[in-house]
Order: sequence, then C-alpha cells, then structure tokens
Amino acid sequence: MKLRDIAIGANASMYYRLNFKKIRGVYYPRTETDVLAAIAFARDNGYDVTPKGGGSGLSGACTGGDTDRIMMSSLQMTEMLAISKDIGYVDVQPGLTPDEINAVLEPMGMKLFVAPSSRDIATVGGILSTDGGGNDTWVNGTMRDNTIKVRMVTYDGRKLTVSHEGVKSDDPDLEAELTKKGMTIHDVASSHGTLGFITELKLVIRPVVGETLVGSLAEFPDYDTLGQAVDGMIKRESPIRYGETIVMAHPDVREGFNPPLLILQYPEEYESELKEFVDIKRLDTDEFERLKDIRIKLPKRNPMEGVQFALFEGYGFHEESLRNMQHTLDEIDTLLKSHDLVPFGKYGHAPSKWYLGDNTAAYGIIMHSREIRPEGKTGTELLQTVLDIVEKCDSLGVTPKPEHKWPFDDEAKSSRLNELREVIGPGFNSFILDEACDDVLSSMV
Amino acid sequence: MMSTSYDKCVRCGSCVKFCPLFNAVGEEQYSPRGKTYLLQVMDQIEDDPELAKEFRQLLFQCTLCGRCSEVCSSDVDLLKVWHEQRAKAVQMAPEEFEYLDALRDALANVANIYGLDPEDRAIYWLDELEDDIPGLEDRVYEKGKTADTMVFLGCLMSFRGSQMDVLRSLFTMLEEVGEDYLVMGAEENCCGHPLYLMGDEKGAEDLRKHNRSVIENAQAKKVVTCCPGCLIQLREHHNLKNAEALHHTQYFDQKMETTPKYNQTKELAYHDPCELHRILGIKTEPRSLLKKLGVEYREMEASCCGGGGLLRMTDPGLSDIIIQARSAKEKLRDTVVVTACPSCREQLLASENRTKDIIELLADASEGGAE
Ligand SMILES: Cc1cc2nc3c(=O)[nH]c(=O)nc-3n(C[C@H](O)[C@H](O)[C@H](O)COP(=O)(O)OP(=O)(O)OC[C@H]3O[C@@H](n4cnc5c(N)ncnc54)[C@H](O)[C@@H]3O)c2cc1C
Ligand code: SF4
Ligand code: SF4
Repeated sequence: MKLRDIAIGANASMYYRLNFKKIRGVYYPRTETDVLAAIAFARDNGYDVTPKGGGSGLSGACTGGDTDRIMMSSLQMTEMLAISKDIGYVDVQPGLTPDEINAVLEPMGMKLFVAPSSRDIATVGGILSTDGGGNDTWVNGTMRDNTIKVRMVTYDGRKLTVSHEGVKSDDPDLEAELTKKGMTIHDVASSHGTLGFITELKLVIRPVVGETLVGSLAEFPDYDTLGQAVDGMIKRESPIRYGETIVMAHPDVREGFNPPLLILQYPEEYESELKEFVDIKRLDTDEFERLKDIRIKLPKRNPMEGVQFALFEGYGFHEESLRNMQHTLDEIDTLLKSHDLVPFGKYGHAPSKWYLGDNTAAYGIIMHSREIRPEGKTGTELLQTVLDIVEKCDSLGVTPKPEHKWPFDDEAKSSRLNELREVIGPGFNSFILDEACDDVLSSMV
Repeated sequence: MMSTSYDKCVRCGSCVKFCPLFNAVGEEQYSPRGKTYLLQVMDQIEDDPELAKEFRQLLFQCTLCGRCSEVCSSDVDLLKVWHEQRAKAVQMAPEEFEYLDALRDALANVANIYGLDPEDRAIYWLDELEDDIPGLEDRVYEKGKTADTMVFLGCLMSFRGSQMDVLRSLFTMLEEVGEDYLVMGAEENCCGHPLYLMGDEKGAEDLRKHNRSVIENAQAKKVVTCCPGCLIQLREHHNLKNAEALHHTQYFDQKMETTPKYNQTKELAYHDPCELHRILGIKTEPRSLLKKLGVEYREMEASCCGGGGLLRMTDPGLSDIIIQARSAKEKLRDTVVVTACPSCREQLLASENRTKDIIELLADASEGGAE
C-alpha cells in the first residue's frame, strides 16, 4: 500500500475512515482509453469500480464503501474539448469544475450556469452524478437541466451516450435494451456513480446578459414567515437571480446578522413587486458581497470550540413543509437535540429547485444543516440519527437530501438504478445499492 | 504543544486545485487536503513503517507557499501544520534527511548555505561592483561603524553571480537617494530561513543571534533586504528592538514619492513572490513602484514559482515541473517576468524565463530610462 491508496479517501462527508486495505488500485486516467484499461483491470480481478471527482460530496458515495474496489478519479480529466458560442455548448472532460470552465468562458461573455457553493472543487461529472445545483437553480435549473448529453463507459467496457432524448451505444443490443427501458439523462443524474464512469459531457452555455441587478436583505421574525415569503416567490415565479437563506447560525459565525434571513438579488424593475409581499432592505454592493461571503463560508467555518460537521446535508422544504416551516424545523431540531447534537448552522438556496426520485421537479428551500461534532458518539449511533432524520422527513413531507438524492432514502430512484443495472451490469459503486450500506457507512464515521 | 488544527479540516477540497504540488502531479496525496486527511487517519496507518516514511517525505514535497492557508475558510493554519510536521519528521527519522546534512553543517560551520568561507560574503560582488559604485568598499560593515540603514543581502545575493544585476541596481539606488547605509558583509550570518523551513528552530536562532548584535551595534534604524525569506526571519523572528525590517520595495516606495519613467520596450508581467505577498502581506508597495515607473504589466496568477519550501533541494524534479507548467500556462515566452525575490529569480532563470527585479527597473529608469 502507498499513500496514494489512502489519500484517495479524502472526502467532505463524515464517512472518511475507510478500510484502506480494500482499495485494490487507484487510477487517475486522462483519456477514455485509460478509463477502459482501468475498468478492464477491475473486471479481470472481480473488483468494483468507484468513480471519484472532487470528493466534495457529502453522502460518502465517492468512498466506495468497503467493497474490494478500484478508485477512479477524474481529477486529471480536465480537458476542454470544444466550445460553440453560437450553438451554446461546451464539450468537457468530467474532472473540470464550473469555476475552471467559466474562467475560460468568461472572456467570451458566456457562462455555464451551475453554481454549487463547492464549485471550486466539485467536478461536472460529480455534480451530474448528484444532480447538484446552486443558489441560481431556481432560474437556471439543476445540473441535469444544463447537461445536453454525456458519454460514459460501463463495467464491461461498452460505451454509452445518454441525452434527454434517449441513449446510444456502440453495442446495438445494449442500445435497444436501454431504449426499451427509456433511459435518459434523468437516470444518470443522481446515479452516484452506479451506472458507469462519465468520460465526457456536453453542457449548455449561455451568454451573460447585462441586467441591472440589485441586492437586498429580508429578515424574518420566525420560520413560517420565511417559508411563506419563499412560497410567494415560487407562486409568482419571481425573477430571483440569487437567493440564499441563513436560517440559523451559531453566534460565533453570525457576524452581527439576525437570522432567519434571505439574501436576494433580482432585476431592479422587479423590486416594487417583491416589496408587496416581502419586507426587504436594499443593500449596497459591498454589503451584498459581504453577506454572500458570510453565507458561502458557513459550511467551512468552525465555532470557537469544537468542529462543525455535516451529519445530514440537506432538507428540501416544499409545499406544506415550506409554508409551515416553523413546525417542520422544530420537529427536526427536537430530533437532533434528542440525539445530543448542537445545531451550528442552517442555510441554503432559496428559492430553489430539485428533482424527486421519480424525476418530477420540486420547488422550495434546500436547507443545509451543520451541527457541532459530538464527542464520544459511535458511527452506528450517528448513522441511526441519520436514518431517524430520513424517517422524520418522510413524515413531514420534506425531501431528504434534495441535492443528493441519496438512493438509500429514495425508493423510486434506487429501484430505477437497479432496473438499469440489470441491463448494464453491476460493478460500479455497488455498495450504495446494497442492503448493508447503512452498516458500511456507519463503520466509516 | 503540537497544534491539532488539521482536525478542523472539513475536507471540503477548496484548497486542492490551488496547490502547485497537486497541479504538478495531479494526485490527491500531494494536495493540502490529502495531507490533512492523512493526518486525520494517521492512527490507521502509522504502524506501517513504509507509509510513515512516505509521509515524512511528502511533507517536504511542498513549497510552503501558503496558498492553502489563504484559501481555507475553516481556520486550519496549514502553514503552521506543515512547519510542525516537518520538525516532527526530522526529529523522528533524522537518517531519512541526511541529504540535508550538508546544508545544516554548512550553516553551523560557516553560516552560509554554500559552505564557503564567511569572509567571501563581501568578495564576489565587491570585486564586480567596486568600479560602478565608488566607495562601496567603505560601505561594508566593520566593528565600530554605524549607519541609519543596514543592508542584509542574504546568502543567494551574497554569493550568486546571477544576482549581480540586482545588487548593482540596489546599490545604485541607495546612492541615488543618498541613504546612509552599510552592508553586513562578512559579519552577516544566514538569516536562518532554511533551518526554519526544516523545523529546526534552535539552529535558526543560533544564526540570528549574531545578526541581531551586529544590527544593534551598527545602531541601524532600518534593515533593508531584497529577499522575502530573509525578511520573514528579520521581521518576525530576529526580535530586533530598535530597527524596522523592510523589503527593498517597501523602502524605495516610502523613500521615492515619484520616480523617473521606465522606458518600456518589452511585455512585462508581475509575479508576486509567495513569501512576500502571502506570508508577509506586502502587495501594494511593489505595485505602487511599478505605477510610479509608469510601466504596463500583466498580473500573473498569485501562485508559486516552485522554488520555495526547500523544494529545490528536496525534489528538484517537481520544482522544475511547477515552473515549466506555470511558464506554459501563463505564456511567458515573450514576457519579462518582474519580481522581487532572489529565489524566484533563480527559479525563473533556471527555466529559461527572462526576469527582472523591480529594483532593476528603478535603476534603469534613474539611469536615463535605458532598458
Ligand atoms: C463546502 C461545500 C459546499 C457545497 N455546496 C453545494 C451546493 O451548493 N450545491 C450542491 O448541489 N452540492 C453542494 N455540495 C456537495 C457537493 O459539492 C456536490 O455533491 C458535488 O456535486 C460533488 O461533486 P464532486 O466532483 O466533488 O463529486 P464526488 O464527491 O467526488 O462524487 C460524488 C458522486 O459522483 C460520482 N462521480 C464522480 N465523478 C464521476 C464520474 N466521472 N463518473 C461517474 N460518477 C462520478 C461519485 O462516485 C459519487 O457517487 C457542497 C459540498 C461542500 C463540501
Ligand atoms: S480548504 Fe481547509 S477545510 Fe477545506 S480541505 Fe483544505 S484544509 Fe481542509
Ligand atoms: S503550502 Fe503551497 S505547496 Fe504546500 S500544501 Fe499548501 S498550497 Fe500546496
């Protein structure tokens, strides 16, 4: 074993104590040919393949669990293959981040409109595999809405091109079977590396339009008023270009602000309509940038004492759970506290959009939650808390992990992935769909 | 007490793509997150002697550029972690760092990194520059001499021919502004920076003591150096009571409200030396001087040249890859890289880039604008 076999386990989730002995090879391919060779090695030895991008995912999916496996990183697949400003697309390898892509596009006045807070490290391959999005998902959609098609390689080395319209393959039988199953990009979105390795993506790029945008702050007396304000924006299809909420923040990182609050940016001419249903205070550019900075750094900051951690990275409040947010949050906080967890920060994209496991779109607040890492809790206890949260979310009408669609809490998604894997074959990130997934994850906390 | 600030790393990955070592190799163990992660799971791997050894080596495959510390929003003082871990590594397995012994011995015996006679500190450049700078010999410090400003050249500038043009420009400009100055010459010890980078605080302090007493005896109110590494030591670790340590860009920016205009005929780009702008926070003065000189220049990415953290000694191959990748990425072929650090200069010259220290531009402008 070498340090490269261990360092590949570095990831942002709380599942980071891997059984390194089960990692049978670490690959950093540069081309599809390299990918095929690595997969062939895994296949010949009966090992699983775990794709990894930036390792910023919070579900532990890029760890590969404790299967005998090879780890395949996309971090050296960072070529920009083609750009068409006229048609509006860019062809890229999967290891590029939105920041890297946009650095090239910016001088052309074009942009990829996918902006997770982790866009400095999250790769486009990883973002599609979790169907991530950012504070502009409300206007610009999630990663799947911005992906035209992907090329991927399956465990038996066959090649697929999957788009919104359907699927193509170098193997006509496979193509026919997957077409019968109706495979589209929706299936690749949130598939957590269980179907194959994405080697190339064709992404939508659009011109940056010169709108005059203004920023403002809305502070709320309670969570219901916050939820109802966001619900109002959804109903009116408000043109919010940037919408973030800080629901609560530990006093050490609050920096004088008073959550719950919303940080909003919208076209100047929309302000009068927004004022009809939300009490907003206009911010100058510096104040607005400062608030944005406070928000974006919340997932990384720590309290004076202790360290924050992401026990359960996302809650999707929509419909009733959004309008009755006070009740929903009280229930969640009571549950967290009963498990001895001290809330550290709750914040997220608002209004936002995500997809449910059956591929219907939902609109509301994607709230990330961080707690202070408790001392002396076992992995099993923490995972039990996660499972209790999932159950609680179901009873409250909240989407658990809306940005991640972690298949183990999404029956529709996991059965669809299993259905496709019957055709494509297993071999990719299998632990996720395994019944023992909970135990494996808890062993890594 | 060892800091455990690496515990605060939430492994978000924001530092990964900024690290020159990660960019050079493209594998996670070289990235700052990779290394904090290795520390976080050390209990799982430290029993394996080969892995422990590899980790010790990895700690020296880093330029200590500080970019990771700057990017991190989780209060992980990464530079401190790397320093502490290096000290621990050398202490635990000195035999693995025997290749650094020659350097350590040279510093212990003759107080310079080249193992040359200490008297030679003021020989090479004095021979070369005596005619250009009349009276230069009298500027060399001897017991009993005093001056307002002490010039601290550092090992690179004292001994390397490649630094001669910078020295000539520095002395020309000190004369031009009428400064009352002395050069430490043979009485200068290495500032201790190389030992500090290996985590050998005691060895570094032994070197600093002598410098401190010379500066005090000369009654200098200012110590001026062109070398950011020396400045880190002079400003942060020499504990100088009555003298303020300044980078030459700070000194001349303060001294000269206006400067003659530089006659620019080539494309210029400014490279911020990591130790100067990130560790010492000196960003505005070099730019202010460039503005006064009226030059047009391109800002380069604030990343490392690959020459810091002893990497040139510990892994010259990686150091070369970093500067070559940088030259290609930033299209330096037709550009003169302006910088303000003798170590960056060496690194740039070794990779066949053209470079000038800001002081050279200043001297050229003062001498009539010839390039
Ligand atoms: C500080 C912070 C802020 C964040 N903010 C947001 C946010 O605003 N919005 C959001 O949506 N998420 C956010 N996240 C979560 C995370 O960034 C996303 O889940 C992101 O999509 C993961 O991308 P990655 O490249 O890091 O993938 P990884 O974490 O490496 O992997 C994620 C999944 O994708 C699979 N995968 C990766 N590459 C490939 C490939 N080439 N082929 C097939 N499968 C692949 C992996 O197997 C794994 O299942 C945040 C995380 C952090 C740490
Ligand atoms: S930026 Fe800081 S918290 Fe994030 S991975 Fe790097 S060291 Fe860790
Ligand atoms: S100090 Fe520089 S080279 Fe070292 S880990 Fe940090 S970013 Fe990388």
